[in-house]
Amino acid sequence: MSGLETVKIIVDAEKEASNMLNEAQARASEIRKQIDTLVEVEREKRLSVARKEAASIVQKAESEGKSEAIRYQEESKQNIKKVLQRASANQAAAVKTLFDMIMG
Amino acid sequence: MAREKARQIVEQAENERQRLVEDAKATIAREANDILRNAQAEADGIKRREVSEARHQVKLLEQSEKDRILTVVLDEVKARVRETAGDESKYLAYIARLGADAIRQLGMDQVIVHLNAEDLKRIKVSNFTHEIDKHAPSLAKVEISKEPILASGGIVVSSQDGKVRIVNTFEQRFEALEPKLLIEAGQLLFSEK
Repeated sequence: MSGLETVKIIVDAEKEASNMLNEAQARASEIRKQIDTLVEVEREKRLSVARKEAASIVQKAESEGKSEAIRYQEESKQNIKKVLQRASANQAAAVKTLFDMIMG
Repeated sequence: MAREKARQIVEQAENERQRLVEDAKATIAREANDILRNAQAEADGIKRREVSEARHQVKLLEQSEKDRILTVVLDEVKARVRETAGDESKYLAYIARLGADAIRQLGMDQVIVHLNAEDLKRIKVSNFTHEIDKHAPSLAKVEISKEPILASGGIVVSSQDGKVRIVNTFEQRFEALEPKLLIEAGQLLFSEK
């Protein structure tokens, strides 16, 4: 092999190595560029699920709160009814007592 | 050598991507948890508000119903007190007793008794002074004022110059006794015992 041929082989090898490194750098750069997109996609996916779940939690609470309020009001109205029935039963005695207080 | 270096460059980028994505996932998971935690807190608040509003409404309703019954009772008491004025013998004895109490409180030799227009018309002065005398014999000379007072019943006793007055009209008695009447009525009507 002549000296010229040897030099050519070395130059070609260096070119190939340089190309290989350039391609690797380009690939690495491409990989790094993907990061933002991957993160954004992941964020949108997870947060979208979380937001839907959150909306569902709030909606359920509204519904449960209304039901609980209605149940409480119905129970309380029954209690008030009893209180008023008892008051009606005591009304005549109360009138007499108060009348006696006024008349001294 | 170059191939190995190239592989390392790509591998480093891939590792970096994986690490950053994993870090981001952890951050996103925290954000998602925050969203859920806030939603849960909001949900708890909504439930509390709904029940609290219901309690408030029930309290208002209960108070309004109690007030209604109290008003009915007080109106009935007032009506019965006014009816008493129609029974002349009982009424005369009643206002005479009020008059005697007032005379004792005033502690004066001469007093003026004031009545409403209706009582001035129907009550005989001699009967009335006689009735007072039964309760407070010879304590003071009683004069009946010809000027009627504005009251549905009861009596006002004053000194001769009118500077000292003891007011015992029905209206005044209601006003003075109202706090006690309300407490007593509340206990009688709504106490669970």
